[in-house]
Parts: sequence; C-alpha cells; structure tokens
Amino acid sequence: MMKKYLITTVFMLGLFGLSTPAWAQDASQVFRAAGSPQDPKVQISFNRYYTAEGLEEIGTKIAKAHPELVKRVSIGKSFEGRDIWMLQITNYAEGNAERKPAFYVDGNIHSNEIQGAEICIYTAWYLTENFGDVDYITEMLNDRVFYIVPTINPDARNHYMQEPNTGSSPRSGLIPMDDDGDGLFDEDQPDDIDGNGSITQMRRKSSLGNFIVDPQDPRQMIAVGPDDELPEGTERYEYLGQEGYDNDGDGRVNEDNVGYYDPNRDWGWKWQPDYIQRGAYKYPFSLPENRAVADFVLAHPNIAGAQSFHNSGGMILRGPGAQEDLATYNREDVRIYDAIGQKGQKMLPGYRYLVVYKDLYSVFGGELDWFYGSRGIYTFTNEIFNRFAYYKNNEGGRDVTYDFDKELLFGDAFETWKPFNHPTYGEIEVGGFKKNFGRATPGFLLEEELHRNMAFTFYHAYHMPNLSFGEVKEKDLGGGMREITATIINDRLMPTHASQDLKYKIERPDYISIEGVDVVAGMIVENEDFGVTREQKVNPEKLEIANIPGMGSVTVRWIVSGRGDYSLTVDSAKGGLIQQ
Amino acid sequence: MKKHLSKFGLWVCVLAFGGTLFAQDYPTLSEQENRLKSIANASGNATLKSLVKTEGGKDIWMLTLGTGDMDNKPAMAIFGGVEGTHLLGVEMALRFAEDLVNNRASVLDQTTFYVFPNMSPDAYDAYFNNLKWERSGNAKATDDDRDGRLNEDGYEDLDGNGMITLMRVADATGDWMMHPADERVMIPADKDKGEQGSFKVFSEGSDNDQDGLFNEDGEGGIRFNKNLTFEYDYFTPGAGEHPVSELETRALLDELYLKWNLYGIFTFGPGNNLSTPWKYNRAGASKRVVTSILEEDAMLNDLISKEYNKTVGLKDAPASENPGGDFHRWAYFHFGRLSLGTPGWWVPMVKGDSTMKPNADKNHEVNFLRWAAEEGLDNYFADWKEIKHPDFPSQKVEVGGIAPYAMMNPPIEMIDGVVEKHNQFITDLTTKQAKLELVNMRTESVGKGLTRVTVDVYNSGVLPTHTQMGARSRWLRPVKVVLNTENNQEIVSGRKMQMIRALNGDHHQSFSWLVKGKGSVSLEVGAPHVGFVSTTINLK
Repeated sequence: MMKKYLITTVFMLGLFGLSTPAWAQDASQVFRAAGSPQDPKVQISFNRYYTAEGLEEIGTKIAKAHPELVKRVSIGKSFEGRDIWMLQITNYAEGNAERKPAFYVDGNIHSNEIQGAEICIYTAWYLTENFGDVDYITEMLNDRVFYIVPTINPDARNHYMQEPNTGSSPRSGLIPMDDDGDGLFDEDQPDDIDGNGSITQMRRKSSLGNFIVDPQDPRQMIAVGPDDELPEGTERYEYLGQEGYDNDGDGRVNEDNVGYYDPNRDWGWKWQPDYIQRGAYKYPFSLPENRAVADFVLAHPNIAGAQSFHNSGGMILRGPGAQEDLATYNREDVRIYDAIGQKGQKMLPGYRYLVVYKDLYSVFGGELDWFYGSRGIYTFTNEIFNRFAYYKNNEGGRDVTYDFDKELLFGDAFETWKPFNHPTYGEIEVGGFKKNFGRATPGFLLEEELHRNMAFTFYHAYHMPNLSFGEVKEKDLGGGMREITATIINDRLMPTHASQDLKYKIERPDYISIEGVDVVAGMIVENEDFGVTREQKVNPEKLEIANIPGMGSVTVRWIVSGRGDYSLTVDSAKGGLIQQ
Repeated sequence: MKKHLSKFGLWVCVLAFGGTLFAQDYPTLSEQENRLKSIANASGNATLKSLVKTEGGKDIWMLTLGTGDMDNKPAMAIFGGVEGTHLLGVEMALRFAEDLVNNRASVLDQTTFYVFPNMSPDAYDAYFNNLKWERSGNAKATDDDRDGRLNEDGYEDLDGNGMITLMRVADATGDWMMHPADERVMIPADKDKGEQGSFKVFSEGSDNDQDGLFNEDGEGGIRFNKNLTFEYDYFTPGAGEHPVSELETRALLDELYLKWNLYGIFTFGPGNNLSTPWKYNRAGASKRVVTSILEEDAMLNDLISKEYNKTVGLKDAPASENPGGDFHRWAYFHFGRLSLGTPGWWVPMVKGDSTMKPNADKNHEVNFLRWAAEEGLDNYFADWKEIKHPDFPSQKVEVGGIAPYAMMNPPIEMIDGVVEKHNQFITDLTTKQAKLELVNMRTESVGKGLTRVTVDVYNSGVLPTHTQMGARSRWLRPVKVVLNTENNQEIVSGRKMQMIRALNGDHHQSFSWLVKGKGSVSLEVGAPHVGFVSTTINLK
C-alpha cells in the first residue's frame, strides 16, 4: 500500500513538475462530495490547527490563487508587532466592494480558543473555491463583502500553541502585567515539569489526601468521602494544582502568568474598569489588536452583520453581556436575533442559542456588545465545541471524555501520570489531559464543526439588507408636471438601521435621490392608499429616509417639472448603493 | 476695589522692572509653551515633554517637577484646561508650576508633581479668534446631530459684535421669561408657580438647515471632559464615538497608567468637590457599577474640603459641573486616585443694597451682572438689540446676553490672590500625604540562633496609603513588606514577602518573623505612590 502510494507520488511529480504539490490529486481522480469543492486551487488540511504564521501563509495562498476575489490587508499590528491580517472577499468585478453590505468575522480573541481562526480560513477557502460553482456562494460574493480576520490575537495564539499551557491558558494577550502587585511582571508562570508542552496537574501521595487512583482506569482520580472504607494499602493522593514552581519565592505557585487581562473586556460599550469588570485593561481599546478592529469597523459603516468565534460550550450567543445593559436590546432587534439564532440551533446540533448575561455570565466590555450597542451591527459569538460532539448526544458523566480519549483518540489526549521531584513538594506525579483536548475540537471532527459554523454565518450574512427597486410609477399632473412614485424593497430580515441605530442615530439616514429632472417637491409616502405623505422641504431631490425595514419597503414620491429621463439612486450605508 | 487696584499696580511694576510684562489677558498657546520651556530651562528639577499633538496639531504638554528618585516618590498631578472654555484653569496650573519651582522647591523632596496645564488646546485656542464663542471640542470634524451632514448649522454673529450670545424671540408659546431682579437675564418660567413664558431663547444664529433647530451642528469637535469612561454619555455632542477615542485622551491615559507613584489628581476645572465634598450614597456605593464615593473616601473628602474652605475662603460656589465622561470623576471612580477639583475662582455673591431688587433665587447670572458692574468691568454683557431674523419674519427678535467666557474667567489681573491660596492649599496637602515609618522595632533572641523580629509599619500621614476605591484597583500597588535574608539565614516563621492592601492615616500594621542565623537582615517597605522605607536589622 505504502509502496504503491510512493510510486504514484513520484509519477505525479514527474508529470506536473514542481508547480503541483506532491500530494495534489488530478481532478479526474476525485469524485465531488456534496457541498465541498471538487478541485480546490488551494489545498488545506482541516484536521489540524495553524500558528499565526501558518494562518498567514494560508491566507497568502488563498489571496494569490483568487486575486479577483480576495484582497489581503493588514488592519494593524499586535503588541508583539505581528500584522493582523484580514481577507476581504467579494466579487471585485461586480459593483463597488466598499459599498456592498459587509459581514465581519473574526476568531481567537481568546488565545486558547483557537477554532475561530480555522473557521475563518475555511470560510475564505470555501467562498473562493465555490465561487462560480455554487450559485448561493456566487450571489453572496456578488452582493456582499466578507471581512475575515482569522486571528485578532496572533501573539497569544502562538503562545498557546508553542509554550506550555493548559487548554484554558493564556486567554490573555501578552502585554506583561503585575498580577500579584509585587512590582514584578509575569515572574511566576506555570512550568512544564514533564516537558510535554502542556501544563497538566500535579498530585502527591499523602496519607491525608482525599483522592485515590480509580482501580478501573489509572488515568482517573476518585474523591474519597468520609464514610468510604479503603482496602488495606490503598494509596491516598492530594492534588497540588497546575504544574509549576514558586519562581519568585513568595510562597505561591503560578500566581503571575503572562498577561493577564481579558481582550474581551476591552471594548467600548459600557466598559468598566478592572475592579468592577475583572480582566479590563486600561480603557476601551487600550489593547492594540482590538483598536485595530475598532478603527476598521468605524471606517466601514457598510458592516451590517458580525460574528466572533470563541470556545467552548456549544453556544450561539447574543448580548447583552451585562444585566445592566438589558435596555439596549429592544424587541424589534431581538426578533431578528431570535430568527437567526434559532436557525443556528438547527444548523449546529448540540449548540444552544443563549443570551450572555443570563445564560453565561454578566460582563462588561465584550466585543459583541460594542458591535451592536455602539455600531448597530447584529452580532453573534459562537462558543465552538462541546461534549455533545464526542458521541453525538448529551449523555454520560465525566467518563465520557476518558472514553472518547481511549476509544477514538487511542490515548493521544492524555499524558500518563509520571513521577518527578519537585523542589518544594518533593516526590510528586504529573499528568492529565493535554492542552489540545477539552476545548479544541479533535482533528477528525474539526472540518464538520468549521463547516456548520460557516454555514451559520452565511445565513446571517444572507439576511443583511438587500435593496432593490420595486415599481416606479409616473402620473402626469398637467402643466408640464409629473408625479414620480418609487418603491424600494428590502427582501431580507435586517433593516438598514437596527432599532438601536435608529434610537441613537448611529448611522446616517438612507438617501433616495432623483437626478435629471427639476424637483418641485419630494415626500415620503407613509400610506399610499390613503395618500398620506410627509414632505421634505429642504433638498427634496435627496430624500432622507431614517430606515428601510427588513422584509419591507419604502415608497417615495417627487413632483417634478419638465420632460426627460431621470435616474434614481438609493444610497444606504448598510444597505448598499443601487441605481436605476 | 481700590485696594485691589493698588495691589495690581504694584504687581505690574514688579514685573515690568523684572523685564517681563505679561499681556493683560489669558496666555496664548505659544505663550504657554514659552512659559513651560522657561520653567524647564531655568530649573534643574523640571522636565518638559509633549505627550502628543492633537487633531488640531497642538501639543499636550507634561511638565515633570521632581528631584532624586522621583518615580518612587508619591506624586500629584495638576490639571488645567480639562474644559476648553475654562481659561483660568490653564493659567492656575501654569502659575502653580512657576510658583513651585521658584518659591516652594523644597516640597519636591517629598512629592513629585506632574503638571498638565492644558488638556484642550484646540478648544482653548478658539478664545483668540475674532469671533468669540465658547468652544469645548477639539479639532476633529464631528456630525453633532448625527444626521450625516457635517457642520451644516453653526452660529452666526447676527448683531455683528464679534461674539455669540443669545437670541430671544417674543412668542406667547415660549417657555422663557425675564428674571424679576434683572430683565437682561432670561430664565425658564416655572409653571408650577403659575409663571408664564413669553419668549423663546436660542443661541445666536440661523437655522441654516431648516430642521427647526438652531446651531445644533457647527464646528463641534470632541470635548476632553466628555471623553473619559466614567458615566460616558454615548451619542451626545462632543462625547466621541466611544470613550477615550481622542489622541489627547489616549496619550494622557497611557502616560498616567505608567505612573505607579501617582496618588492624587488635582483638577482646575468645573468639577468641584472641594467647596462641597462629594456625598456618600449607600445604594450607589454598593452597586456593581459604583456611582457614589465610597464611605471612607467621603469622610476623607469632607476633611480635605474643610481645609480647602479654610485656606481658600471662597463661598457660594456654583454647582459642580460633571458632564458624563468627565475627567475629575474618572480620576477617582475609574483610576482610584484621590481626585480633587475646583474651578479655582467664581463670582462672589454680591450682597446688594436696598436700591436693588432682591436676587431671591441667587441666580448666578444676575449676580454676575451685579458683580461685574461693581468691579467696573468692560464688555461683559451685550445689550439686547432688536434685529431682523429671516427665520422669524413676523416676530420681534433680540440678540444679547453675557459675553462668552466672562462668567468662568475673571480678568486675569484679579487672580493673584486665588492663585496664591490654591498653591498654598496644594502644598499643605502634600504635607498630609501618607508616609510610612517603621516603629517599635524589636529584636529578641529566642535561643539556638533564632531571632524574633517585630515591627509596626506605621502611616504617620493624615491621608491613607490608598483611597478605599484605590485599594480595589490593580493600578495602585499594595504596600509591599519584604524581609531580605542572606544565604546563611532562614525565615522560620513569617513570610519573606507580604502585602498591605491599604493603611489609613495614623494607623499601623504589626509584623513579626522568626529568623535563624547570624548577621543582619534588611527590611524594605513601601509602594511607589507612598514611598519606600528600609532598615537593617541585626540578628541576636
């Protein structure tokens, strides 16, 4: 088998020379699986994760392979000076890319919550490789632009992957902080005692310990209760916490890790300082990575929908993040969130559509709250992956993870307990689940998870406003005067202005203008049947419309003098620019 | 008045002979820069740097005044120009710096000062324009009414007097009336008292965009004193798109967050918790998002306020102005520092005599007009003058009112007294700052080479090491207590390093260690914003 493969590879190399990667297949050898590109120009393995540099390289390949669909730009620099790369994907041959309704996606704001970057890469790949083949995708790129930032935390993504960490660390970015107030920065980080790249657990034999090794599974520890009777000679253990030493001699272990702040408490909507909201840094957007995103979003009012990816728990989250901010999310907008979120629940088996403040925790300064509260952009955060994925059900207790490791990962996720001599604790044992297990989706499940989450963002992006002209009627009023009545249709769920936007006039009104004729009067038709109109006395040729509702329309009317042709323009920040 | 004039005359003479003569007005930005540079050039204790250039290309200056290891000495920051219309605050901050290096330099042995004399240079500069109106915002272009059009409805000088005042329009549907004590002053009618308005009042100008609002979107800009995080007022004119959006706000905070030695912030501005202290409110102090000064800090504020009133002696202050996002409250509520603020000066309440109609509600505008007349000031009021206004073709429209800047900024020759008193108050305050001492040190032999060391860490100051709020903040370090041992010594009981979260004035905390070994150990106690003390202890 192996031999045959080698021969084929050598043959193919000879045939295609160096221009084709050794592992590419000839298209004629491949049968299309429904919903996946048959012969992608860019080959990517979606059963593994990529470092910041790995993501950069993949992004470059996608951009090079599809120059007519992708612009790759840096929106800013991270603390350590890495570029924050964005892929701007649309059909550049059609329309003005800057004026199309835009969907923003990012991943990895929490460094250890890595899948978002791969979802972003998968999405960019999927859009570009299916454009022209799948009508839904082709139309999506004709009408919309995607702003995709695989990682908005590249420094700490690499730290998570390349330095010893748990599955939950560092979470923070890498700006050093003095967590314990001793004037030293990041001086007592966890230490990889067993050298396996993961921070696992320390345990020690102790006659006073409250744990024993599970006789049926030596990976597991069982808590011992006061009434339990143990067989003679059973070894008791105590847990000593995460792997580490007291590096600064202050009598505590691992109390000043890299960071620590929470990049998702740094956003400028109802931001609160650290003493109220643990994890906040100095002020909103005091973290350079978030500032880059905020500056980009402020400069791109065409963004109408947004998505950020976290892990884990299997959640589709909307705001408010904080209970105190409940009033920001009003009924009209919640109706739209619900429609998209509930569809997401169906598309993402095992995921639940939830509200941050009541179903998760009540926090200030989150990204999704800024996008919605400050910019009026409908935004979800997905918490990728949960236990449902192990056996496609929610059954089972804590054995499930151990079973899954044994039966489907063949033990690759667990570091067996091994003895070490610790300078403070003496003879200890180190072991436990590795950092790539528990929160990060295991490789063979990853592509499905990426695809389903992408499909959810497509549904969301599909329902950004989509404007078109309906009927345009003319009536001769005599004396060289005409009445022109035009209807503008929005056939998607989202209005051009979220109700939060309308409440605070976040974005300018939509403009519906007529050119080529002399306008005597202009008005918004509030009820066509009964002839109720509202006149705009100043600049009637450019009518200012507060909003074009979702699954709805707006009708305007002008009284014009003179003959001749005219053109109509609808100019909406979030709804795009159309002309007739 | 006579006494005042003679004093003023003397001052001019002194300065004239000294070779410098200040223009009799608030300093221009270049005059401010020159004065800052001459402080920095003349004094070895002063360094000047520009934090950033604003949107309008103006420098934000930071003057550091200190000696020795100034980063590890308790520090106070002095602010002026948090509101661009408050010219006085800029001058008082400058004069504080000048007075400190020239006359009070010994204070720097104990305390480091950072002086930020003008946080709103873009707005301040508008004072020198030919057309005077009270600009608060920086040079950033803003769509104040958020209608998608920029600066489409600004002020117009309809009466051509070089300043923007008010318009009053005779209109039975209006809600404004003349003040009973002075008909030049317009006040809202109190309908609950049966009063009826007969005027509409607007700022001076036309409704350029015909939207029914007057001057709602002129050259606006973003206002430093609305751009901070505490109770930030979203989507209101001058606030910005998000808190700390502006170059000067960010540059300042980036700087302040590096100053671990900063314990106090003193702001010359419209926020005032010195004449009247902030009130403690239990409900506001116990919510997650704290809106009231905390209880112990309120007592401290009370104490400091009493000192202030004793030293400065000004009465009848106008209500403290704290717009959402203001700097004065941010410095306490979000930055955890002792935050003190005062306008520095306000119009004294005129007693009046029997010939005057009583100013029953102590209306500040009425009082200002009386005071200005008594002092013989010029150009403080534009008399109401009828004009033709295209937006009100059939109504009587008059333009007039108190001159811009006049109520907050007295003629500069009047401020010597308040400057001196405030400088005195601030230097007095530094003598009350927290000061650590190591007292009641004892060493006892417990036998077998063991020594018991006991000591009281004592705050001999009046102020606490941390405000109650500051003790919650990660941006003020706790007081660190470290016992340093040599290789042949071992701490048998007690910890090598311990933290004190806060120590109130005249309070102490006791520590004790058992140390094994011979020779001496050293004890170091402190935090940058309190200062450090250390001692060597000989083991028994």
